[in-house]
Amino acid sequence: MLFGKYLAKYYKKYWALFLIGVVMLIVVDVAQTFIPRFLGRIIDENNELIADLAQLGEIVGYVMLCAGIMFAGRFVWRISIFRASTGIAAGLRKEMFDKAEKLSSSYYHITKVGNIMNWFTSDIEEVSDFFGWGTVMIVDALFLSASCIVSMVRLNPWLTILLMIPILLIAVWGLFGDRLFTKRWEQRQAEYDRLYDFAQENFTGIRVIKSFVKQTKEIAAFSKIARKNQDVNVRYARLNVLFDVVIESVIILAMTMLLGVGGWMVYATATGTPSIIFGQEVKLTAGELMQFVGYVDLIIWPMFALGNIISMRSRAKGSLKRISAFLDTPFDVVNPLDGVKLENAKGDIEFRDFTFVYPDGTTPALSNISIHIAPGEHIGIVGKVGSGKTAFVNALFRLYNVEKGQLFVDGHDIMECDIPSLREVIAYAPQDNFLFSDTIENNISFSSGAVDHGKVEEASSFADVKENIESFPRGYDTVLGERGVTLSGGQKQRVSIARAFYKDAPVLVLDDCVSAVDVKTEEIILGNIKRQRAGKTTLLIASRVSSVSQMDKILVIEEGRAIAFGPHHDLVKTCPAYAKMVYLQQLEREVEGGGANG
Amino acid sequence: MDDEKERLSGDRKMSLGEILRHSRPYVAKEKWAIIFSLLLIALYVGAGIALPMLTSQLVRVLQEETNSQTLSMVVGIVAGYAALGLAEQGVLYLQSMTLQKAGQRIVYGLRMEVFEHIENMSLNQFNQMATGSLVTRACNYTAAVSDLFTSVLVHLISNLLTVFGVLGIMMFISIRLSLYLLIFALVAGVTSFFFGKIVRRIFHKERQYISDLNAFLSENLSGMRITQIFNQERRKSSEFDEKNQNIRRANYQVVLAFALYRPFLNLLYYGSIAVTFWVGLSIALSGAEIVAFYLYLSRFFNPIQNIADQLNQISRAVTAAQRLYSLLEVQPEVVDPPDAIEIDHFEGKIEFKNVWFAYEGEHWILKDVSFVVEPKTTTAFVGATGAGKTTILSLIVRNYAIQKGQILIDDIDIATIKIDSLRKAVGQMLQDVFLFSGSIRTNLTLHDDEFTDEEIRAATDYVNATPFIERLPNKLEEEVLERGENFSAGQRQLLSFARTILHRPQILILDEATANIDTETELLIQDSLEKIKTIGTMLVVAHRLSTIQHADNIIVLQSGEVLEQGSHQALLKKRGYYYKLYQLQYAEQEG
Repeated sequence: MLFGKYLAKYYKKYWALFLIGVVMLIVVDVAQTFIPRFLGRIIDENNELIADLAQLGEIVGYVMLCAGIMFAGRFVWRISIFRASTGIAAGLRKEMFDKAEKLSSSYYHITKVGNIMNWFTSDIEEVSDFFGWGTVMIVDALFLSASCIVSMVRLNPWLTILLMIPILLIAVWGLFGDRLFTKRWEQRQAEYDRLYDFAQENFTGIRVIKSFVKQTKEIAAFSKIARKNQDVNVRYARLNVLFDVVIESVIILAMTMLLGVGGWMVYATATGTPSIIFGQEVKLTAGELMQFVGYVDLIIWPMFALGNIISMRSRAKGSLKRISAFLDTPFDVVNPLDGVKLENAKGDIEFRDFTFVYPDGTTPALSNISIHIAPGEHIGIVGKVGSGKTAFVNALFRLYNVEKGQLFVDGHDIMECDIPSLREVIAYAPQDNFLFSDTIENNISFSSGAVDHGKVEEASSFADVKENIESFPRGYDTVLGERGVTLSGGQKQRVSIARAFYKDAPVLVLDDCVSAVDVKTEEIILGNIKRQRAGKTTLLIASRVSSVSQMDKILVIEEGRAIAFGPHHDLVKTCPAYAKMVYLQQLEREVEGGGANG
Repeated sequence: MDDEKERLSGDRKMSLGEILRHSRPYVAKEKWAIIFSLLLIALYVGAGIALPMLTSQLVRVLQEETNSQTLSMVVGIVAGYAALGLAEQGVLYLQSMTLQKAGQRIVYGLRMEVFEHIENMSLNQFNQMATGSLVTRACNYTAAVSDLFTSVLVHLISNLLTVFGVLGIMMFISIRLSLYLLIFALVAGVTSFFFGKIVRRIFHKERQYISDLNAFLSENLSGMRITQIFNQERRKSSEFDEKNQNIRRANYQVVLAFALYRPFLNLLYYGSIAVTFWVGLSIALSGAEIVAFYLYLSRFFNPIQNIADQLNQISRAVTAAQRLYSLLEVQPEVVDPPDAIEIDHFEGKIEFKNVWFAYEGEHWILKDVSFVVEPKTTTAFVGATGAGKTTILSLIVRNYAIQKGQILIDDIDIATIKIDSLRKAVGQMLQDVFLFSGSIRTNLTLHDDEFTDEEIRAATDYVNATPFIERLPNKLEEEVLERGENFSAGQRQLLSFARTILHRPQILILDEATANIDTETELLIQDSLEKIKTIGTMLVVAHRLSTIQHADNIIVLQSGEVLEQGSHQALLKKRGYYYKLYQLQYAEQEG
């Protein structure tokens, strides 16, 4: 059995199913051990039964009854035990997802999604398997073997003791073999992965290979790996076959011992010279000997399970440990108790000597920023890639913790605000324009549960993507992503802007999200912002000056520091860095517009 | 295998006959191994049928009146049992290994053929095919096809032999009882066959739900930030719930299907035992004969289930074979003409004569482009993004065929030169440096063992890469991770130069990287470029000011046309398009 604090509630929930399952398994185990007894009678009382069909009918009736009980029992235990084990899997998955939703960005920054996925998939499967097949194996190993051994001992204890030697060998071999298997299997998997990776890399880097005319060499290298695969596969197969052959040979030896010693006992009994052990006559009939054959047949699987269950449990234990560690991850961004609930927010934001360091960083991403954004102001934030612009977003949404007394929304320290209410106040169009594989409509209306189609259209025209969407055959019902339509970078950005606008929040943050749209579209969107966000606080982060020049004020960031803050016409005069950006921008426009005067 | 994503456009349906014809060369090579193992299988099946007979005989001997020979007969039967049983296992081992080895040889042969075939496809064909699908073909489907011959079909034969053998011997003992049991066997077989089909569908659904949930998870874990920012945790949680419940329901269907199927087969088995007891004694079979039937029954039901399963497996293997052989039918697009010439030395004069080129249709990337590059000179191509600079470089090595015009090297049309000899002469340094996982050495030599350490050292010295390689703990053997992510952009660039220099090109093409490179490495790169230039004719798509300043000729492109050309100073004096471009893209580097 497997225990842990995250499993207790499942035991509580599913104990009845487990109990029913285990009881049924035991019933089946016991019923199974009756069959050899009937075989023994049929052989020993052969002549009598041929003469007395009524008695034969009784035996056959019992066989049918056992078969019926087994059928019902097997059906019930499969349903109940696997219902419980899949229930545990579903429950753990749910708990883990809810946990994942509460973990902050800093957790995702340091933990690879691939690792989390492994905990969600193979580790949960391992634990659930243990509760399913593991339970079956444990019960069978204990009860089927006990039931068999009891029957055998009652029939002939000496023969039983003799047979236990090879039978226990099967359990040992099961334990030992499983370890060997795991090792070889991993080896084989590793070689296969190598083959797969090599092919994958070769096909991806085919350009290089062709440009250096190295196909022949690559084929030779692939051949080496393919050969190695051939070898490890043959070795694995050999282990597999050997494993079976050894078990089967042990069984044959056990049967030989049984038939030899048992046959001799039957002979001795028949000739009236039974051997005497500890003063007792050891008697055996041919039917009883066959009954023994039946028991040996039955006891092989539980012995094998006995060996297997140990390594199965250790794997499940390891998986459970990783799952528990994930569920135990401490939260770093915690919603304050009695936090200030922002209602009817005005959209006033103040950075007061604001410095921001990422949890794993040494140098601040932003330092000593002091600006005040009045309600309704449109602010542009401009700077090169890596200048620290995104840190504003991470702080403003409390995706990370910030120092107290440095960042205020509507006059409230952000560290004292209720997080959901804070996030309700601000709408966001991200830099990486991440969209879900869902319909366009659901993506745009992501911020609210109910879809208002009119608002979706309005938001689409705000982001100048309405025509694009409507040109798709399925319009707003177009499904995006892997199995759906792929949008161009610019279209994605605009859908993501529409999603942010749909929220109609007091504060709108657009994080470098017009970089992939052409100049004309950008101008339309900027115009829409000016008109439709008039009187509502709007922050536009950009790397191009043209994007921000029409904002009320512009903040220029360089290496995490604010080097200027003011309206465009002021900055052109007072900030040389800004003026240079403006000049280069104009030049770029001319170059891209065509060398008409060249 | 049913996954749509795994399909390529060329996949087509094939008849079983066609598949067998395609497979013949691979299977024919292993025909002796297959025949040998079929013989062994016959022995194995024979032994399997004989063993229960011995047990039955033992019962017969023990139940008869004992006489002087009884004991020796018992000993004889038991000794025979042991000998036959162990021999059976020996044969099984030999048979399995013979087949496994043959199967693995077939897999190897198929893999090599598929891999070689893929290696020889043209670059534009690669762009049209999903890498993942190609990999699946080379790795998985090859194994599936080999399995068809060495596992599925052979085991099918083995199981059929067992079933008919056991049935035959049962009939020998009692036809009447055997016919009764045959009914049970047929029910078991038919049930298994249809169960296999149904369960495959349920499994498929279950897998789909699982991959659905996994896709949802990986998307939502990567996009958790957005969910949190939009306060939509609750909605996502309920979406997750739905998918989670889907899996649970599908799991449950699988459980239910097996909960009916397995116990039902078991019921059939015990039912047939009951029938054996009843009918057997009704027709006065002896105890020994009942024992024989009892033991044969357990050897009867398994093969029947397996046969049903193997029939289902065949259809899956056929799909794999179709995909594999369809791929092998794809012919490379850019190929050498039959009379292509081999050239091992180029002077290095390159000429474009009214070249028109489009990747597809009438979307001209190059429009009537003409220019001449003199041997041993350096020409820089400049222009805005999409002007066609990179395309020009890739046409020189015939990654694509042009639609109109001519490209000449040393006044020979490149379409008449063997592609391999052309590419061997041209050293390409591409913009996104692709490093393979492996070591620095394998990345420089590209698995060519002919290069000596001295040659490698000379190349890394030449491009100033030696100092940084020497600083690595394992020097040349230092591990390179996938796509070289453990090296900086500048280091990757130097390694790419070294790789090219090592292969002794006569003409060089370079697509300069735009990536941010630290100042120190930047200086090393500039310095090594100066040296590389002297090797032969060089064509550069330039992003560095120093590169264009040192070029002998600059060709300015705009939307696929040559706009201006001349030296840096001459072009600057014109104060035209180049002048603006220069200010925009390069002037900043001056400071």
